[in-house]
Amino acid sequence: MSDEHKKHSVKSSPPPVHGLLAEYDTPPQILHAAKQIRAAGITKWDTYTPFAVHGIDDAMGIKMTILPWFTLGAGLTGLASAILLQWWTNAHDYAWIISGKPFWSIPANVPIMFELTVLLSAITTLVGMLILNNLPEPSHPLDQVRRFARVTDDKFFLLIRASDPKFDDVETRALLATTHPVAVEAVLEDRVTPERMPTGLVYGLIIFAVASVVPFALAAKARYTKSSSPRIHLIQDMDSQPKYKAQRENSFFADGRAARPAIEGTVAAGDARDDDHFYQGKDGPGWARTFPSEVALNEATMDRGRQRFGIYCTPCHGQIGQGDGMVSRRAESLQQGTWVAPTNMTLEYVRQQPVGQLFGTISNGIRSMPAYAPQIKTEDRWAIVMYVRALQRSRSGSVGDLPPDARASLK
Amino acid sequence: MAKVSNGSSSSSGDGGTSDNIRLAEVGQSLFLKALVVGVVALGVSAFLGSSENDNWNRFSHSYLVAFVWVMTIGAGAVWWITIQNIVNSHWSLVIRRIGELIASNAPVLAVLAFPVVIPLILGKSPMYIWSDVNNMLGREELKHKIPYLNPHFFAIRFVVYFGYWTLLSYFFLNRSLGQDKQQGNDAAKTVVTMRRVAGPAMIVFALTLTFCAIDLIMTLDPRWFSTIFGVYYFASCVMAINSSLALTLMWLQSKGRLTSSVTVHHFHDLGKMVFAFTVFWAYIGFSQFMLLWYANIPEETLWFKERFANSWGTLSWTLLFGHFVIPFFGLLSRWVKRNRKALAFWCIWQLVMIYLDMYWLVMPTLGVDQVPFQLIDLTCWVGVLSLFIAGVAWRAKGLNLLATNDPRLPKSLAFENI
Amino acid sequence: MAISDVNPFEAPPAGDNMFARITDNVTRIAETATPPRAWYIAFGFAQLLLLMFLGSLGYVIWNGIGAWGNMMPVAWGFPIVNFVFWIGIGHAGTLISAVLFLFRQNWRTAINRFAEAMTIFAVVCAGIFPGMHIGRPWLPYYMFPIPNQMDMWPQFRSPLEWDVFAVSTYATVSILFWYMGMIPDFATFRDRATTTVRRVAYGIVAMGWRGSSRQWHVYERAYLILAALATPLVLSVHSVVSFDFATAQLPGWHTTIFPPYFVAGAIFGGFAMVVTLAVPARQFFGLKRIITIRHLELMNKVIMATGLIVGYAYGMEFFVAWYSGNKYEVFTFVNRAFGPYGWAYWTMISCNVLFPQLHWFPQVRRNPWATLIIGLIVNVGMWFERFVIICTSLSRDFLPSSWGYFVPTPVDLMTLGGSFGLFFTLFLLFCRYLPMVAMSEVKAFSPAGLAHGDH
Repeated sequence: MSDEHKKHSVKSSPPPVHGLLAEYDTPPQILHAAKQIRAAGITKWDTYTPFAVHGIDDAMGIKMTILPWFTLGAGLTGLASAILLQWWTNAHDYAWIISGKPFWSIPANVPIMFELTVLLSAITTLVGMLILNNLPEPSHPLDQVRRFARVTDDKFFLLIRASDPKFDDVETRALLATTHPVAVEAVLEDRVTPERMPTGLVYGLIIFAVASVVPFALAAKARYTKSSSPRIHLIQDMDSQPKYKAQRENSFFADGRAARPAIEGTVAAGDARDDDHFYQGKDGPGWARTFPSEVALNEATMDRGRQRFGIYCTPCHGQIGQGDGMVSRRAESLQQGTWVAPTNMTLEYVRQQPVGQLFGTISNGIRSMPAYAPQIKTEDRWAIVMYVRALQRSRSGSVGDLPPDARASLK
Repeated sequence: MAKVSNGSSSSSGDGGTSDNIRLAEVGQSLFLKALVVGVVALGVSAFLGSSENDNWNRFSHSYLVAFVWVMTIGAGAVWWITIQNIVNSHWSLVIRRIGELIASNAPVLAVLAFPVVIPLILGKSPMYIWSDVNNMLGREELKHKIPYLNPHFFAIRFVVYFGYWTLLSYFFLNRSLGQDKQQGNDAAKTVVTMRRVAGPAMIVFALTLTFCAIDLIMTLDPRWFSTIFGVYYFASCVMAINSSLALTLMWLQSKGRLTSSVTVHHFHDLGKMVFAFTVFWAYIGFSQFMLLWYANIPEETLWFKERFANSWGTLSWTLLFGHFVIPFFGLLSRWVKRNRKALAFWCIWQLVMIYLDMYWLVMPTLGVDQVPFQLIDLTCWVGVLSLFIAGVAWRAKGLNLLATNDPRLPKSLAFENI
Repeated sequence: MAISDVNPFEAPPAGDNMFARITDNVTRIAETATPPRAWYIAFGFAQLLLLMFLGSLGYVIWNGIGAWGNMMPVAWGFPIVNFVFWIGIGHAGTLISAVLFLFRQNWRTAINRFAEAMTIFAVVCAGIFPGMHIGRPWLPYYMFPIPNQMDMWPQFRSPLEWDVFAVSTYATVSILFWYMGMIPDFATFRDRATTTVRRVAYGIVAMGWRGSSRQWHVYERAYLILAALATPLVLSVHSVVSFDFATAQLPGWHTTIFPPYFVAGAIFGGFAMVVTLAVPARQFFGLKRIITIRHLELMNKVIMATGLIVGYAYGMEFFVAWYSGNKYEVFTFVNRAFGPYGWAYWTMISCNVLFPQLHWFPQVRRNPWATLIIGLIVNVGMWFERFVIICTSLSRDFLPSSWGYFVPTPVDLMTLGGSFGLFFTLFLLFCRYLPMVAMSEVKAFSPAGLAHGDH
């Protein structure tokens, strides 16, 4: 540094004095000196020591820092944000019952309240310390003084800055001499270190700052626009599962099937479905024309049927069974020609079908309609049949079917 | 550890200080006043208790609350002097003798326990149902506890707890008093002797305090159990003794004793301890509550259910805010711990809160819906506390209030806090 | 660079005053071109272990966690045992830095820096295990409250979620605390640097610290505040880890003393690790003048005290299991001691409760090698404590029909052993390149630093 300094001073007048630096050997000496300098009424000065010398705050008259207030504010902010976060996510936006606890379970929220309080306080304390200390400070006129390098090792320094109103090269030197320093040296302003950052670095930082926004912008765009392509799926963890599904091949078994058929001549417990009327909708060789005795023909069954119909049938068959459900309408609007339209079950030929046949269709499927036996319980399938019968009746009714009082309301 | 210092201005030639370190007539008058107040207050309590006509049930509960509250101070003092010896603490040396004097009141504490303990041992306690073995035999969920919860074994345990605390505190007090007459090397040897004993002594103390708290408080509801209970009570003990020491020293200084030995730096440390254990109490209390709340097992939650029903719930919330949140912010600042009046306020506040805590632990067994604050609670509390103070004053009046010849005294006198 | 046969750190430190000698004693470790042969041997060994760690983790990622021995009913197995073990180790550093600071135990200045480093490396090791145990380590962001395409939020009523916050907060605050403590020492390294690389590297991390007293004032206050924040944080971390167990209804897990018991155990194990590292470090890096026998003795006393607290908790658990009258609790504790895992239980008891009692003898606790051996024994014991808690309780719970017995696979053992490789690699690099002792603090509490002149 001093070489550069020489180089610099050759081409122009010597730089102005930054201040006077005195060096000491021991903590008592620097304490003593600090008291004297403070007593002399100097205001723009500082001491530099390898460690925090006990008592130097009092000797220099340093006021208590406001840092604790930063910490307190950050702590309260952390506490409040933890409460808000947990309330918003678990009790409001995504309320979900977990182990029988209330949505907003304060005792269960305490640990995170504590953690966020401490986290914000700690980060703020460190950042606050840096800000209050004006750090990072990459350059300082003292860096030009060779002996000052030992400030982080074993020497103690006192600097009176030239900006102090009482500063005078001769008088200040005399004042410092009364404190018995090991050495006194003038510190010059630093003209070597450029005052501003190099232009290239500034532009580089700006480009970096702008570029760093791009990923966030892309994420925001992806979040608020629609896309027809599936989401990017780097790790196909759930997509490829090392297991065999029904109806697939498996060379392990002699018959080459992955699914294992029931052993011949056996019936699993609870699977002995020997009531053909109830389970198959059959009455002898033909379809049953009546509801089996297990199904209660009452309003509760009808309600159940309407509810199940709403869940399983309306997507294709529509609310009143005319084959105009959402799925069907969407398929037809695409006009792909492969869609087999669902049956309008209020048509005459369907009305003529025995209840057993309707039950069989629901259970086993027909054309492109899949079998619903695996999904809907037997009683519920019968309840749906009952509701379908009601729908059919409603589409072919006449005014004469209505009770007289209701008939009056139509007019 | 305090900084090295080559003596202090307050040290006088004979190793002591220029302070007045004898209670003398002040102690005598305190003893008499406290004795009279205590006897009168307990007399009134007994009258109020008998007029309830409930086989002394109400009186026993009120008395037990007052007793376990005073025990936080008494047992806390035994812990305090033991730990100071273990860690070779310098700062606390100027306070140590006060701690020893309070701790060696253990026999008085034992006698104060009699109104609760004697009926229990005789099998006639109105509040501990296990005092009569027939109550236990009929209950499937309690039968197996008879080997532990029976009056005979309890009598032995009671003697062990208080006997041990008496022995330990007398040992420390006597060694410490002996040290006042020793010089140089002998005095230093006494320090080492006390420290050697303190380590193992602490192990036994931890067990006695835990089981004493379990026996006197937790078994009021013999169905309920919690492994942390001893630690919970211990948290109150530490807070109580540190608050009491701060208040005692303030009182002593107002009477012109120890005025220059004990400085704002020592008060600051006592304040820090009260603050630290305010947080510690909340930590232990929360751990106990949250774990039982979360697991939600009936035999455990019923204890808390009682304490959140009706106005007991108000008391529970009062404890949360009054015992933790408010004093936490109150004691947070350095200024409060160094300001005598502010510190006194918070020490009294926390002692009151410890009383409410004890009330919250004990009283629900009374089986009433609402928090039953009555005059008898106050008179019992005044009575037990006054007799405890009388015991301390009686012992302290003729003794030094400062360990004058401890070789670490100069460091303690010159102690500076940050 | 050539490996030297002689330990370059044996020579007395250079300097004409105490401060300079302290600086020299510490900085020469990082400034020397040739660390002692022991460092190379240790580093090579750590590299082998690290390779094994990475290999076993890669194997687990590729094949899924079935490569480990976790199997119902012991679904937690080794990964969680190791997690709790490492996170426990990670308590001593911040405890020494923060709690002992608040208690004005100035002897801590000799050991706090590398204890803090040890803490951070242990937390790094700890974090890997649950990170792997979640099964899909590429989806860790599920654990954080980040708005996502599933419109779902983490579940804050779960202790496992508390863990995520507790461990990450602890890691962050420990690193901040560690870094802030090193700023003045980085400045020392910067000012002594002889090469540009060192000057720039240490210069950046020193942030232009020049030891101004006005800066020291704010710095010291910040240090005090961080200590005050870190103290309850240390208590909270292992308490939250204990909640993972204690909020459950499983016998042997659900007990209210778990939080303080876990904390005491963590301090116990953490200090044992500190002495385990301190004894060789002072031996090989010539730090005997700074880390003295007195420091080891004091740490041994802490080990003994916390060991007794742990013993108290073992006892209370047993007593209350009996007192509660809950048949499952009683069974669990009898099963721990006399069931199929009895060997693990008695290993734990002897390592944690019996062996540390040797420290009652001054000859033992003042002997570095006895300190090292007991430190190692306690580490083993604390690992087994976690093993006992997890495996005995899970393997035999309410229904005898679903009992099982946990057997680790070779991959389990490789991951456990390998994690030490990561730990020691980081630690040895730290010894080589960072200030191993808090020079500025040691100077402040040296006799010359405490001298006050006219005070």
